[in-house]
Amino acid sequence: MNTLSRRTLLGSGAALLAAPALAQAKWPARPVQMLCPWAAGGGTDAVVRIVAALLEKELGQPFNVVNRTGGSGVVGHAAIAQSAPDGYTLGIITSEIGMLHWQGLTEVTYRNYTPLGLMNNDPPGIQVNVSSPYKTAKDLAEAIKASAPGKMKASGTGQGGIWHLALAGWLNAMGLKADHVRWVPSNGAAPAMQDLAANGLDFTTCSVPEARAMLDAGRCRSLAVMAPERLSVFPNIPTLKEAMGIDFTTGAWRVICGPAGLPAEVKAVVEPALARIYKSKDYQDFLAARGFGGMYADAAGTEKYMAEADRAFGEAMKAAGLAKA
Amino acid sequence: MIDMLEAVRLVAAPDVLIAILASAIYGLVVGSLPGLSATMATALLVPVTFWLSPIAAVATIITASAMAIFSGDIPGCLLRIPGTPASAAYTDEAYAMTRKGQAEMALGAGLWFSAIGGIVGTLSLVLMAPLLAEMALSFSTFEYFWLAFLGLMCATLVARSSPIKAIASMLLGLLISCIGMENPAGTPRFTFGLTDLLGGIEPIPALVGVFAVSEVMRAMITPEPPPLPRRKFGSILANQWKLTKKYQWPMWRGNFIGIIIGVLPGAGADMAAWVSYAMSKKFSKEPEKFGTGHPEGLVEAGASNNASLASGWVPSLLFGIPGDTITAIAIGVLYMKGLNPGPTLFTERASSMYALYLIFIIANIIMIPLGIVMIRIAATVLRAPRASVMPVILLLCAVGAFATGSNLFSVLMVAAFGCIGFVMERNGYPVAALVLGIVMGTMVEQNFITSLIKSDGDILPFFERPVSGVLAAMTFGALLWPVGIWIWNRTQGRRLPAGTAAR
Amino acid sequence: MQLSDRVTGAVLMALGAAAALAGSRLPAVPGQDVGPAAFPLLIGSGLIICGALIAFGIGRSFEVPEEPAAGPGPWRLGGLRALVPPVLLLFYVLASERLGFLITGAIMVFIATLALGARPRLAVPLAVVAPLLVHLAFYKLLRVPLPAGLLSAPW
Repeated sequence: MNTLSRRTLLGSGAALLAAPALAQAKWPARPVQMLCPWAAGGGTDAVVRIVAALLEKELGQPFNVVNRTGGSGVVGHAAIAQSAPDGYTLGIITSEIGMLHWQGLTEVTYRNYTPLGLMNNDPPGIQVNVSSPYKTAKDLAEAIKASAPGKMKASGTGQGGIWHLALAGWLNAMGLKADHVRWVPSNGAAPAMQDLAANGLDFTTCSVPEARAMLDAGRCRSLAVMAPERLSVFPNIPTLKEAMGIDFTTGAWRVICGPAGLPAEVKAVVEPALARIYKSKDYQDFLAARGFGGMYADAAGTEKYMAEADRAFGEAMKAAGLAKA
Repeated sequence: MIDMLEAVRLVAAPDVLIAILASAIYGLVVGSLPGLSATMATALLVPVTFWLSPIAAVATIITASAMAIFSGDIPGCLLRIPGTPASAAYTDEAYAMTRKGQAEMALGAGLWFSAIGGIVGTLSLVLMAPLLAEMALSFSTFEYFWLAFLGLMCATLVARSSPIKAIASMLLGLLISCIGMENPAGTPRFTFGLTDLLGGIEPIPALVGVFAVSEVMRAMITPEPPPLPRRKFGSILANQWKLTKKYQWPMWRGNFIGIIIGVLPGAGADMAAWVSYAMSKKFSKEPEKFGTGHPEGLVEAGASNNASLASGWVPSLLFGIPGDTITAIAIGVLYMKGLNPGPTLFTERASSMYALYLIFIIANIIMIPLGIVMIRIAATVLRAPRASVMPVILLLCAVGAFATGSNLFSVLMVAAFGCIGFVMERNGYPVAALVLGIVMGTMVEQNFITSLIKSDGDILPFFERPVSGVLAAMTFGALLWPVGIWIWNRTQGRRLPAGTAAR
Repeated sequence: MQLSDRVTGAVLMALGAAAALAGSRLPAVPGQDVGPAAFPLLIGSGLIICGALIAFGIGRSFEVPEEPAAGPGPWRLGGLRALVPPVLLLFYVLASERLGFLITGAIMVFIATLALGARPRLAVPLAVVAPLLVHLAFYKLLRVPLPAGLLSAPW
């Protein structure tokens, strides 16, 4: 923690010094690097690429996306936090930033960033095989309650991943222990959906867009979505509250940000630009095409949202025994 | 029919044709450079596809990956440095042919049978996609476990050295794949407190290290080998028809195995090449020639890995489940371009689907002329002095490792694996088996552990399900077969032609 | 680095034992019966068995007789030279951010070429041309963010 806070201090100091210089040459005066902690071709990569392309259109300088992968996202997240806060390195961070530090895998938290805008949030769904006897979330919940602990199996991502927390949170909200349903770790959502289709699992809690191809193929059904309201792309899937009266929501979110201590000038340019981008037809079309859940918050709202998510993740992880003591 | 015409119109658009040609050349060049891989070639295309029309974008990915998988054979054959993990299985064989002065035949076989495999694979995609998809969906973790296990056993069949050493190398690979937190438990293992190790060790830096860097290391301490007899580089395709006729049966078997393995998500071209090469040796009439520069295995494995590349698109297109690392990237591009995977792609956007088929076919056809040019250019390294080739390879290793993740740690990994590969090679441990272990490790563990979790620690379900039962029987058959032969030979006191029992 | 089978077998046994031991110490995962320890234990045991078989030469009888060909070629100027490539890669890791790709690459190529026994007449032009071409291809065409450092490329 020590080195980090020193970095942050140094960073803010540098930002203060740099401020007058920036006032002279209007930001952005040269190409900006956008770091992405996940590999090319994934969902986060897609979001940051479209945002970068639209920022380039808005602000007239190239925004180059660089995939800084490794260490299950830790390397890229840390790279954004530790970059020079001069506005020429920005990045995208994902909900993992609210989870990794609870597991003791990194010291970087949401506080090490200057949030600029929340661009998307994908809530988890509850999917079952099309031949499954459970027709509604309520059916499934009752079957879970009636089953012996560990008998039913669910999957969607790796151990301690976001969809595992979604399951733990849902079970907790039902008054059950977090491991009442056995979690089968998978290497991402796609293999879990495949195993669901092969009748190897009882249900999955990955996001609905991740299950979309299987839904379209008629191989599985989505019983509910753990969101405050129905998804615009999937209006037929009820929310958890509608389906069974339990108000539990969570999600995998993506935030555009810079390192802590980003100059106010930069923030003043990027924040409204992101707001315009979010409302733009290009971005909305993109979200609709991929089935991604839209959600926007300005810088202050994003900060609040991340703080709240960080706390909620911590609680869920402690309940599930996933957090490091 | 209207869809078909529409598809032709879509593909005939100038931007698509230019995209195909440019990405073909790009794929050939990147795949043929030692230290750079097909996956990297595809990953680096993603930013470019962002600016292209949907069909052109997908065309670049299809074309570049097919070309790169083929041209990965080129450095393997000429320098004993495989360009992709898929080529690692038969690199020694191809290099032995080069030393025998048959480089053109080895490379020609790679080219010709890659193209055939690609086309047969595409036809399987066109004609049997729903059927194959059904098969892929009947595979649960139990079946995948056996499949991965069978794949691992190929290590012993492929290696020419002691099978025990091959198994040891493969186990070492499996152990390396344990590093990081990408395991079913999500627990960091063997990371020694290094953040960079949390994500585990990628197969590509390992491959580049054990083959390319260790080759440069060997070059440092051995005198320049006697130059190959100076002669005209012969015709590349002249003998291929003869090979096709002679090895027709292995070729079809290779295509078939490639298609099956390609369809199963997670296995992909790497495993297809290994399994096919091992099969080829197992069922060959002259297995003792394998490893000494015998084209039979190249025919089968070359056809197999390109066939799997095409059929790997089946689960990707129908269910959005990637068949391998390349299609994982491709799915991202499909989504980005609004060609969302799913059955609707086949019904509502049939013209786009036909366009994809056409691109596959075109890519595999233009592979032949472009591949010939590429082989002719690449063959000049056989004449270049070693002191000018090896340093450039070293530089490419550094850049290639850095390129995909912009992470310098991969370069460090490449150096470390260079040393490991060098020591292993000197002591008769096959490095290819190590790479196989690293490639398959995650898949083996993932499916083994999750199967155990699903069965609550019970072993029975591993044999209960019909498909897994068959796979299990095959595994045990393959395991016990050599032991049985060995015991039989011992008790009979008979000598194998190879002289196994002579000691 | 030609070692006897006894040595490499023993090393494998030690590695297997270490892996099994370290693996067995991994904490169990709450809510799961099968934890992260199972796989390393399995592999570690396998390595111990293989190492023993190799060290005691039992595996030999399985062995396909190897033609004596290849073998270790005559060593030139000691084995230490073999360490030049990994050391150069290490140098790349440490220096490329500061010196930039072009200078680091040039130094790497120059040293490697000399170490392979070439004259400066080949080494110097190669060290100038190769990094430039690689930089052009990767930085310009593929947009790989190669560090500029002290000397940025003309493009």
